[in-house]
Amino acid sequence: MTHRSDRLGEDPISGLVNALRRLPGIGERTATRLTFFILHEEEGIAQDLAEALLEAREKIRLCQTCCNLTDQEECVVCRDGRRDPSLICVVERIQDLRAIEATGDFRGTYHVLHGLISPLDGVGPDDLHLRELITRLQDSETREALDEVIVATSPTVDGETTALYLQKLLSPFGIQVSRIASGVPIGGDLEYTDRVTLARAIAQRRAM
Amino acid sequence: MLLEALRLKDFRNLRDVELSPHQRFNLFTGQNGQGKTNLLEAIYLLSAVKSFRSQATNRNLIGHGRDQAELFARVDRGGHVRDVGIEIGERGKRITLNGQTVRNVADFFGTLNVVIFGPDDIGVLKGSPSERRRFIDRAIFNARPAYGTEATHFEEVLKNRNALLKEERVDGGLLSIYDDQLVEWGAQILRRRLDFIDHFRPVLKRTFRSIFGDGFEAEIGYQAEWADQDLSTENVEEALRDALSRTRQEERHRGYTLVGPHRDDLRTELDGHDLRAFGSQGQTRAFILAMKIAEITYLEERYRFAPILLLDDVSSELDRERNRQLFAFLRDRAIGQVFITTTHRDHILLEEDLRHYQVVDGEVRDG
Repeated sequence: MTHRSDRLGEDPISGLVNALRRLPGIGERTATRLTFFILHEEEGIAQDLAEALLEAREKIRLCQTCCNLTDQEECVVCRDGRRDPSLICVVERIQDLRAIEATGDFRGTYHVLHGLISPLDGVGPDDLHLRELITRLQDSETREALDEVIVATSPTVDGETTALYLQKLLSPFGIQVSRIASGVPIGGDLEYTDRVTLARAIAQRRAM
Repeated sequence: MLLEALRLKDFRNLRDVELSPHQRFNLFTGQNGQGKTNLLEAIYLLSAVKSFRSQATNRNLIGHGRDQAELFARVDRGGHVRDVGIEIGERGKRITLNGQTVRNVADFFGTLNVVIFGPDDIGVLKGSPSERRRFIDRAIFNARPAYGTEATHFEEVLKNRNALLKEERVDGGLLSIYDDQLVEWGAQILRRRLDFIDHFRPVLKRTFRSIFGDGFEAEIGYQAEWADQDLSTENVEEALRDALSRTRQEERHRGYTLVGPHRDDLRTELDGHDLRAFGSQGQTRAFILAMKIAEITYLEERYRFAPILLLDDVSSELDRERNRQLFAFLRDRAIGQVFITTTHRDHILLEEDLRHYQVVDGEVRDG
């Protein structure tokens, strides 16, 4: 813990190192390297970085429809008129949305929960962005166009729990709710697939 | 299963150890505190990734003043040779198979199978139910590594369910989701354990008779106090569901889950008397010796492999007669690699097929 009095006496170099260290995935060595990079390069870098940080922080907010990040009222996916309104894919985090977008194969829309249910971590259903999803479904035009909600949370206890909760929550709407499949990776070797995944893949096999 | 080579660097007090073990018996003698048990712990880690010492953190597995420990073994399993490595750093472990990093630890389990018999096992029958559950779980895991993942999954469901039960206002809809998962994964654990007992029980009874003669009748069974019917692999889901609905009131009141495999025990009897309550020291030691020998025999007979046996200073815990029986069993086994530690060479009733090492202050020398 840094006390306030220490902070006031902190020199600017360690101040920057410590600020950078608070970012995820950055330890002391990386923070020090970044600090000296910023100090050695032309002044423009520090200026650009500072402005970009503040601007992003100020302008980026949650899309009012799907809770993706955006600098407008609606995110780039929701604004895109060519997206298929019959499918909503529910994901835990923005990173998951980006991963699915990167496949280029999904043409529906998204809903980002920003978390998973986990009583152990003190996260309950009310802490997720579920209300926005319900509000969305209550809109008759959206509901009319919608055929299916795909729950793409991870196959962990929290991911499963959240998926099952969504299934219950959405049942009054009479919409098809489906779960992403889990199984053997494409191009992977059966021999090297972990056993629980393989056992599940066999249990959940499909007819051909 | 054979450990053909073992190499350790900066593991606890073992700075640099390189061994080509004998395919039968390997004996490590030395005073207490020299590093004998650390050697067995290293072999155990190469099998289970976790230590058998419950307080072991990565930091105290690494030699004093060092950054990381390295463990390496060459394992021959029925002619199939594999190199197993573990690097232990303060932040975590890196596992390799044939030089390739293993991302999912579940893929690694089953490469090296060990059964350990040490001073902690001696007290299992008189100890807490969790120690007896660990005996069952270890034995299942050895033959079916996927069981480890299933058990972890179950525990996570359980912890979340308990956290939910402790909340002031419990969301009934959410609780029923955890009910379903508790039943699904709990039933899986129960089926595995019941299946194990089914196959283990006759082996144990036979082992006990062959060691101690026909005078005593040994019995072992799975005990689930929460179930109001005899459990079988067919009815576990239904039994769990019934028990959950029966305890609904009480578990909310207490704030934790009262039914499921995490509450169970292993019942052990000698001539109809419950050993947990009535066993003498001699009887419980005889029984645990039979259980350990039966565990090895069970793996050999059912899964066709001979696990590596680690004997950590048990001879000083067993009386003369039990000790003689243990070594009679080990010599009569046609195969099977054994690593033995002792402070007293004369406790170890082996003369042939033996390599002898001395352990002095973290160094291992030919003895």
